[in-house]
Amino acid sequence: MKATVVGAGGLGGPLALALGAAGFELRIVDPDVVEDSNLHRQIQFAPADLGQPKAPLLAAAVVRRGGVAKGYRMRWTAEDADDLSGDSDVIVEGSDDPETKFAVADWAVAAGTPYVIGAALRYGGNAMVGAPGASCYRCLFEEPSPAATCAAAGVLGPVVGAIGGVAAALAIGLARGDRRYAGSIFVFDDLRRHAAPRIVRYARRADCPACARRKVA
Amino acid sequence: MPTIRIPGALRALTANTADVEVDAATVRAALAALDRRHPGIAAKLLDDDAVKPFIRIYVGPEDIGALEGLDTPVGARDEISIIPAIAGG
Repeated sequence: MKATVVGAGGLGGPLALALGAAGFELRIVDPDVVEDSNLHRQIQFAPADLGQPKAPLLAAAVVRRGGVAKGYRMRWTAEDADDLSGDSDVIVEGSDDPETKFAVADWAVAAGTPYVIGAALRYGGNAMVGAPGASCYRCLFEEPSPAATCAAAGVLGPVVGAIGGVAAALAIGLARGDRRYAGSIFVFDDLRRHAAPRIVRYARRADCPACARRKVA
Repeated sequence: MPTIRIPGALRALTANTADVEVDAATVRAALAALDRRHPGIAAKLLDDDAVKPFIRIYVGPEDIGALEGLDTPVGARDEISIIPAIAGG
């Protein structure tokens, strides 16, 4: 099976390592290089990696563990999506860019590709599950927000491992046809206090523009 | 009294308080009470009289958008959850 991992940082690291170990052939997409401020949470990287592009480094880490992966130092955009992700069985978004989250979700809805959108901040995070026919990310959050990012608000290092692990497990389920959580968001308010998520299922918005473009089977 | 669960992304505005009990009969009144206690938080959630498009508010398991919006009634045992879009990764 094939998967696209968007983001090679705090969430992308555990996502790619887990999916690679599970046998997925990966495309990993991220435009950034490793910075000193990343190392507390992006534990797939080491000080010797500073200044190097994240996506190829993470792909190499997957390959060292026996997986199949290729890294692309670029921002994932809808323009390149069909070439990068058109044959993916699932696409998982773990970047820190609100616009990219919406772009991935909108493309996945239109293409009929199952997807997971992950996010982590401070002590918690969430993972939204999407699949053809279900309510989508834009049904939940109508437009990109001026949301705080890890770089601005910080994140406890282990939180990204936990959220990334959950997102990977959900992606594996989706790729294998398990749609029980499609149209739901797993919310972890504060992992220091509660390890269990609230799983919120939400309805499709009648005027959702992304759903209006969805692929008709 | 109903309890408002404050998401991690907004706790800088509540002195890191996670749960805030308010004396209110509707979501609108609950948010107003929250804002009186922690000034500025309502502006992060509402535009004029509408919930911002990247915020979702639930009473128990129900999105208030599917109920009566900000006029959704709340009872003493209700939990109001705020789910904002976050972007960190």
